[in-house]
Amino acid sequence: MTRTVRSRPRFAPSKIVLLGVVSATIGVGAILVGTASRVAAAEPSAASAGDTDRAALDPDTVTYEKDVRPIFKTHCFHCHGEAGVAESGLDLRLRRLVVAGGDSGEAIVAGHPDESPLYQYVRDGDMPPAEVPLRPSEAEIETIERWIRQGAIATEPEPEDLDPDQYITQQERQHWAYQPIERPALPEVTDPSAATSPIDHFILARQQAVGLSLSPAAERAQLIRRVTFDLLGLPPTPAEVQAFIEDTRPGAYARLLDRLLASPQYGERWGRHWLDVAGYADSEGYATEDPLRPHAFHYRDYVIAAFNDDKPFDQFATEQLAGDELLTPPFENLDAEQTEKLVATGFLRMAPDGTGIKGVDKALASNDVVAKTIEIVSSSMLGMTVGCAQCHNHRYDPITHKDYHSFRALFEPALNPKKWLPPSRRRVSLYTDADRATAAELEVEAKAILAERTKKQNEFIEATFQKQLAKLDSALHEPISAARATPAKERTAEQKQLLKKHPSVNVTAGSLYLYDRAAANELKKMADQAAAVRARKPLEQFVRAVWEPVDQPPAETFVFHRGDHEQPTTLVAPGELGVLAPPGGVPIAVDDPSRPTTGRRLAYARWLTSGKHPLFARVIANRIWLLHFGQGLVPTPADFGTLGVEPTHPELLDWLADEFTANGWSVKHLHRVIMMSATYRQQSGRHAKGQAIDADNRLYWRMPVRRLEAEALRDSVLAVSGDLNLKAGGPAVPVMANKVGQFVIGKENLSAGRPGAVLPMHNEDLRRSVYIQVRRSRPLSVLDPFDMPRMEPNCTVRSASTVSPQSLMLMNSPFVLKASERFARRLRREAGDDVETQVRLAWRLAYATTPSDRDVQQAVAFVQAQTTHFASLPKPGKAAKSKTPPLQPADEAMTSFCQALLSSNPFLYVD
Amino acid sequence: MSVDPKRNSRRHFLATNAMSLGSVALASLLQQDRAAANSERLKPEPRTYSLDPQPPQHPPRARAMISLWMQGGPSHIDLFDPKPKLNEYDGKTFPGEIKYDNAAQASSKVLASPWKFAPRGECGTELSELVPHLANVVDDICLIRSMQTGVNNHGQSIQAMNTGQILTGRPVLGSWLTYGLGSETQELPAFVALIDPGQLPVMGVENWTNGYLPSLYQGTVVRPSEPRIMNLTPPQRLKGKAQQQYLEYLSHLNRQHLEQRQGELDLEARIASYELAAKMQTAAKEALDLSQESAATKRLYGCDDPACKDFAERCLIARRLVERGVRCVQVFTENQRWDHHGSIRTGLPSACKKVDQPSAALVADLKQRGLLDSTLVHWGGEMGRLPVIQNDAGAAKVGRDHNTYGFSMWLAGGGVKGGMTFGTTDEFGHKAVENPVNHFDYHATLLHLFGLDGEQLVFEQNNQERSLLEGKGRVVHEILA
Repeated sequence: MTRTVRSRPRFAPSKIVLLGVVSATIGVGAILVGTASRVAAAEPSAASAGDTDRAALDPDTVTYEKDVRPIFKTHCFHCHGEAGVAESGLDLRLRRLVVAGGDSGEAIVAGHPDESPLYQYVRDGDMPPAEVPLRPSEAEIETIERWIRQGAIATEPEPEDLDPDQYITQQERQHWAYQPIERPALPEVTDPSAATSPIDHFILARQQAVGLSLSPAAERAQLIRRVTFDLLGLPPTPAEVQAFIEDTRPGAYARLLDRLLASPQYGERWGRHWLDVAGYADSEGYATEDPLRPHAFHYRDYVIAAFNDDKPFDQFATEQLAGDELLTPPFENLDAEQTEKLVATGFLRMAPDGTGIKGVDKALASNDVVAKTIEIVSSSMLGMTVGCAQCHNHRYDPITHKDYHSFRALFEPALNPKKWLPPSRRRVSLYTDADRATAAELEVEAKAILAERTKKQNEFIEATFQKQLAKLDSALHEPISAARATPAKERTAEQKQLLKKHPSVNVTAGSLYLYDRAAANELKKMADQAAAVRARKPLEQFVRAVWEPVDQPPAETFVFHRGDHEQPTTLVAPGELGVLAPPGGVPIAVDDPSRPTTGRRLAYARWLTSGKHPLFARVIANRIWLLHFGQGLVPTPADFGTLGVEPTHPELLDWLADEFTANGWSVKHLHRVIMMSATYRQQSGRHAKGQAIDADNRLYWRMPVRRLEAEALRDSVLAVSGDLNLKAGGPAVPVMANKVGQFVIGKENLSAGRPGAVLPMHNEDLRRSVYIQVRRSRPLSVLDPFDMPRMEPNCTVRSASTVSPQSLMLMNSPFVLKASERFARRLRREAGDDVETQVRLAWRLAYATTPSDRDVQQAVAFVQAQTTHFASLPKPGKAAKSKTPPLQPADEAMTSFCQALLSSNPFLYVD
Repeated sequence: MSVDPKRNSRRHFLATNAMSLGSVALASLLQQDRAAANSERLKPEPRTYSLDPQPPQHPPRARAMISLWMQGGPSHIDLFDPKPKLNEYDGKTFPGEIKYDNAAQASSKVLASPWKFAPRGECGTELSELVPHLANVVDDICLIRSMQTGVNNHGQSIQAMNTGQILTGRPVLGSWLTYGLGSETQELPAFVALIDPGQLPVMGVENWTNGYLPSLYQGTVVRPSEPRIMNLTPPQRLKGKAQQQYLEYLSHLNRQHLEQRQGELDLEARIASYELAAKMQTAAKEALDLSQESAATKRLYGCDDPACKDFAERCLIARRLVERGVRCVQVFTENQRWDHHGSIRTGLPSACKKVDQPSAALVADLKQRGLLDSTLVHWGGEMGRLPVIQNDAGAAKVGRDHNTYGFSMWLAGGGVKGGMTFGTTDEFGHKAVENPVNHFDYHATLLHLFGLDGEQLVFEQNNQERSLLEGKGRVVHEILA
């Protein structure tokens, strides 16, 4: 086992085999993952069931489709079959082609591996060629040997006429994820009283097969903390905890869920989850300049509102893929509803995008944007890693090179590298005609001031020139004046030399300030006046959107040979990936005559959300499950293909997907269904039996203990200390580098590249993390150590690390220290001066539980010890410029106590 | 399943060095080990990075670097690169072409160096009287007189020297070194920026940025006053007993919480990570504590001289950090300290006074401790100065404008030849003419000394492999020992 999937640092191999960009990145990761998914078919112990068709195959019979073709596909097709390449005349894509052999004769002799050149080459390591880093495993080589020995069997009829590039075997089609979603019957369980929801039947059925059961229900205090973090990303208040514990009427828990689902903070929490998979960022990334996307925030607000309004998910997805096609161009004088549909297409504008950056290869960069957009769409909505098919047929999944480009053709009319819209031009103004008229009037006023300024400037330059001239020998005055008066291009060599010899007379608008500071200041004042006039114009808002041009024929999409955009080959029509399409295909017109645009994306969105798509509903339901339980029913939420991990509970996944579809694609409904289950409500403690049978908790015999995500942590610290600013929406709160290079919330105020004075933030710095600017190159220093993802291009699953920089942040960072101080002030304000009362309140605020008497005693003892210590220190002086008096020892001690709570595991983890 | 000795050693390593994990979860790794032991299954996980020591690609000459960064552009023709021609032309019109930065004060009159040069050491390298201490170690340094970046303002030239390109957002040298080699200490930051009590250098925090590399490789600023290291050390009033009591109480809360959650590896890992954090504080405090140094050593650096005390202390700290395994230390002069557009006759001696003794002492001290062989010392800025006058307003007021076409810097130790000069500028010291060394050459040479191949040390961003050299630069073999 290697240390990590990808070793670091990355030393490029001295000789790179040209497999194209994407295949090169498969590298090490693919070897590990690939091996893993093959050897790990067995789920926890005897519990794995339901693999009937697999079990039906005689395990000793090696067949071409099931066993050998996947090996050839991974290791050999690139040179022996694909994209018209058949080196040595050998094509391995069908059994009959293998048998036919190549230029130098037969490749295999059925029944005799040792006489089969193909086997010998592979066994001896001569094939694949030595420089190919991805090597077949011993098990794979042995499989080839057995296949030949057993007679080189194929069980499926092989196509005679079909393009073998498009050939998908029945074996491949039978992968679980490509089967239609069918609502399964609820499994029988021995103790139906243990189930409070249909979900529990599926969970219990798997558990009872191995002798496990659900853990008892969590205590109410624990439960309300769990659901409040889960739905809002914030802790419950002591009053909310109290009310829930005291609500003895039936339905208390359901009412709690209703209250939380109706909170505006719900959308901020769950919107953030979707922003992860959409790859939301307020900057373009791609290159080091990382320019800002000042209008991206509308999309963020759209997502938050969609979750709060429980916008049906089919509509949510359709608007994001094709909101523009739901409108009629031109996009002028838009109402709120129309604006929303256009804003939604910001989803297709989230990929890192270097096309607006100077010096970037535009053709390469724009093709990258299209590829990354496809990656975002497919990983978020299809749960497929189609990117591997960008350069060649997918090595593991039945996605062909051509499939990939058909999928690309869905988007290319809008994202057309041939007619590329740079970032600055892909925006739609929300100005109305009236706004425009007002702005024009003010512009006239500003221009007048600027004209006056230019006049003044010329006067200053002339005066300065005369002054400089006066310093020189008077004999020079006339020739220098003449030289200067001559346009630069017409000057004689002598004149040029003269001016060069006396550089100080070269006064220009740019250098005037070096001579005459007062004049420069006066000019600046006038420029400021003009700017002030312009500032009175109505604020012009823009939407960063995707749309198709209506005045040109739709972009044509070609298969790129080996993924190289400079080598287009065959023209392809838009379409769904072959293996996902129903028999007869998906009706997507090349150019829908009934619409002003091609209608491709809209047609695709309609199919995706038709309820018949095998993946979409499963992928979304799985993601929602994952966010509730910390692990997906499919543990690889962005890969439902053969490299992904198979679902632990395939029937439950289908049941959830169907429940989701059948209930108007309501996400809130799915939350309720999941959260009402006994599975969700159980305790988190481990027990020996569970540990012995299923240590990874794949069977959900307990609720996992989870660490707060970066945003939830920061937001909770602010909430507990009483300062969280719940202002919603609007432009991103800016992030800047402070004097030591940490990224903090603040308005950048640079002077010669260095941080200048700190500008007031007016409590914007206390807003929820979802509103903090996501500048790809400037991860907020408070969030970064806690695994805030970098969007390159999106994040399909977050990690939860435990590292010392986190501890140091909690121990010493100004953010936590200040919050602790405010927390302590809050305690005095709300609990009075008694330390014990303060401690009790602090405990309830931070932990949402009531402390035991012993907890209180220990806390009070700690506060007293700290008070004694602080009192023994010399009194702190009043900090310069600080309005607040220094803390008294007792307050310093209480601050220290508050910090201990905020940095402790009971606060950082949720049961 | 067979026992994998690597895995066992890794577990041991994790238990003692949680800081080195970077973004790897200790708990998840332990869990992964166990999961692998149970089911032979690997979980796909996000890319991870760490500061674990990494083997170089070929045997290295240098193990650590100390860069003394002279921001503003020390006048090479007044310090390192004597030009008799300037005396000949003093006050006369410069015969060639000059590109000025400041036109308003520009003049075409040549300015002879007001200071005397003389051969120094056994090697006989000529140095100015302004750097008498450097003369004592001149046999250990390699003076490069043909540096050039060709971009004539501070910000861009600093970027070029630090990151290879004039654009911002790219990683600096120290980040590349720690990315390539990790760190030999897990209790101290791998890459340290020792900043001046004055204003930050031009480009501010870009001087130690990790750019597109993971933030693990960012330089950690050690401030001249408390708190010396942000987040590493608490504010003054919380130091010592206050924080110790806090940590004890915190540990109590965490252990009590864990008691009811036996088997939660992540919770245990966090308790361990607080313990390591506390160790790091002790280690940093110890490393920055100069009271452990002898009076003789402090005198050697000039800690007793108010004119250079601050810089001397930082040079001494730099040596202490390198002794303790830190990979790269940069010591900065304050904003534009060397930018002598005017009053060079007073400004330059004062800048030299600040750094000359400490810089020379650092070389001598590293040598006597046997550390110079493995520590590369760099002394230089982003540019030199022009041979002509700027601000022709009397002898006391004159200065020199920017010159990035030819300037000097010196290297010592770490596999570089001592007692030599390399490259030359033209007879006025304006442009490098023989063996020019640009920033890419400098970087290629430096990576080579550290056992890294500049072409192969790459980071992938958006499917593009990025490197410090981006295909440019040559290793200057002539200066290698």
